[in-house]
Amino acid sequence: MATRQAPPTDRPPGDAGPKLPHERGARRASARAGVWRPRWFWPAFAAPGMAWLVVLFLLPFYVVLSIAFGAVDPLFRTPVPVWNPVQWNPFQFQLLFDRIFGPGGFLGPAFVRTFVFVAAASALCLLLAYPVAYYVTRYAGRRKGLLLVVLLAPFWVSYMMRMLAWVNLLESDGMVNRFLVGVGLLAEPFPWLAGQPVTVTLGLVYGYIPYMVLALYAGLDRVDQRLLEAARDLGASRRRTFLLVTLPLSRQAILAGLVVTALPMFGDYFTNDLLSGSPRTSMVGNLVNDAIGSPGQGGQAAALVLVMMVLLAVPMLAYIRATGQASRDAGR
Amino acid sequence: MARMSRRAFLSRSAATALAVSGGVLLSACGERDATGVAPGAGGPQLASPENPVTWPVPADAGRIADGMAPEQGATLRVYNWSEYIYKKVVQDFEKKYKKYDVKVQVSTYGNMDEAVAKLRAGQVAFDALFPTYDYLGKLVQGNFLRPLNHSYIPNIEQVWPAFQNPWYDQGWNYSVPYTIYTTGIAWRVDKVKDDIAKLPNPYEALWDTQYRGKVGILDDYREAIGMTLLKNGITDLNTANQDHLNLARDQLVALAKAVRPRVNTNDYIDLPEAKTWITQAWSGDMVNAQYYMPKGQSADVMRYWFPEDGKGPVNSDLIVLLRTGKNPVLGHLFMNHLLDHDVAVENMSWNGYQPPQNKLNPSELVSQELLPKNLETATVLPSYFDTGYRYLELPGEVDDRWHAAWQEFKAGA
Repeated sequence: MATRQAPPTDRPPGDAGPKLPHERGARRASARAGVWRPRWFWPAFAAPGMAWLVVLFLLPFYVVLSIAFGAVDPLFRTPVPVWNPVQWNPFQFQLLFDRIFGPGGFLGPAFVRTFVFVAAASALCLLLAYPVAYYVTRYAGRRKGLLLVVLLAPFWVSYMMRMLAWVNLLESDGMVNRFLVGVGLLAEPFPWLAGQPVTVTLGLVYGYIPYMVLALYAGLDRVDQRLLEAARDLGASRRRTFLLVTLPLSRQAILAGLVVTALPMFGDYFTNDLLSGSPRTSMVGNLVNDAIGSPGQGGQAAALVLVMMVLLAVPMLAYIRATGQASRDAGR
Repeated sequence: MARMSRRAFLSRSAATALAVSGGVLLSACGERDATGVAPGAGGPQLASPENPVTWPVPADAGRIADGMAPEQGATLRVYNWSEYIYKKVVQDFEKKYKKYDVKVQVSTYGNMDEAVAKLRAGQVAFDALFPTYDYLGKLVQGNFLRPLNHSYIPNIEQVWPAFQNPWYDQGWNYSVPYTIYTTGIAWRVDKVKDDIAKLPNPYEALWDTQYRGKVGILDDYREAIGMTLLKNGITDLNTANQDHLNLARDQLVALAKAVRPRVNTNDYIDLPEAKTWITQAWSGDMVNAQYYMPKGQSADVMRYWFPEDGKGPVNSDLIVLLRTGKNPVLGHLFMNHLLDHDVAVENMSWNGYQPPQNKLNPSELVSQELLPKNLETATVLPSYFDTGYRYLELPGEVDDRWHAAWQEFKAGA
């Protein structure tokens, strides 16, 4: 057993030893020392990832494009992809833009609703998950591993089962209403499942919050404890330490958390179907799902997907830019 | 789940089904010339009670000869909607032809699009399929179907005469009937004070704000728009009139605002569980709903309304044989098996959907305990097929306008 323990060092606690930058430097040094590698050697390591991207993202993406700009089988009304971009027909997009922005554009409200639901749900996720992740990294001590396992436990149950469980809990005579009426918070049962935006938003929060916790945990766990100690030593209060040191240092984690929760929420339709099922809470994901299931509407589904992608590319690019900036800052 | 998508698709496919170009059809079929071609030559021809269709039977279509023996040691591949055939009925068929060592393998689909996509891929040689009648034209035109040899199917005598020579398949060249059903309104007397059936216009109850959050609408663009048309006294459920579609669209959007309906095809679960108190419903689903009542509660609180004069939506499903099937003789015998009175009744006792059997007296359904007394109105009478309305296939352009109206409702504008 004793041999397994790390030899005593004069490193300060919390420093686990040499990190990547040093290693990279060391490797470069050994390369310079004469271990010859062909130019393609290191890039070749990216090949599996690239192949994966091409086969499972770029090709399917091209199929979606070809369907959005494609035709419809005259007999069976299934979408017929048109592979040659020269022959692409923008009809589906004209129709879609007309339905979003045109007079009587009835899809506009669904887009606005989707963004409002996702923004509210993401903000709630952040508010709820941050203290949890903060506690686990700073105060959980030996129970850190156990707490992480508990936090991940919902992932062991399928998303659908978790939502179905909520359907039961939120019934008129379900446990939630019985509790709220029992303690006197409500005079009579609230119809949670009758097309309520609040139910759908909370459903989204519940469904995706583990991703937020994990992203925040990963970020907060990397915050150098010595910086916090330094802030406290230099007289900053707990509050100021948090606001001026911890929070800025976890900015990347917050952004990452928002990205990994918000993006799947934008495409979610199942939460809505199960917890509401009413057109009053329809999100873009529901519109796509409905269009895919309707003969002759495959092109509309593909166009909706692409429009949504373009809209989401804006925050995504902002995120990439922010991350790039952060890693440049770190490199200085 | 699969079952609900089945119901969802019934009418969805109805929308897109029979768009058969008159030209193609006529060139393929000499004997068709005399029968009705829709006004406006060159436009799509629609099979309808007024324009019955005889589908062509090409010489190379693979109709089998009389008196052939069943295939030995074969696996009959049946392709059906989920939860639409009773396992016991299938096992009885295997027993009946035991000396030929027959096995039946049932595969399922959730909607007609899925089924057709798989058929077109051609990887599995299915023998029998259970399409909606509005899909028949497409399947014939796509050369998917095997013409029937009537000598193997004497049990056709057991079904209602109208189904022995139906307008969608004159001379039943390709299909035999499977089940029939109506679309109406179901409600719970323990939750809803009014007697819906006694209201001057029962459809209007679905717009009644006192049932806010407890209203169900079928997630099916043909049924929901069709119901709204009927509410306004418009009986052409295949209308191309944009004013009518706009009216239905506006009223459905108003309904979404007024009562926040549940839009799905879980009518047979939501009503017994009181997730809805009043819902648009299929008759067969209501027959099934009694089995979904929570433990200890009686199903006699449920009611079903279909217009007493029979002027409501009434539709049917079919059985056909596929040309790619390896066991055409067994396929015919399987059809014949399902058309047998006892077998058909046994099947209904499980899936809730009524077969159009002569000996199955509608008033017997209750005494045979196939229907509870309080849901007697879910009985489908032969006369409904004279008085009721069908969801026929729409021409593509009209279908797109129906979809646009529906999409506006579904988007919660």
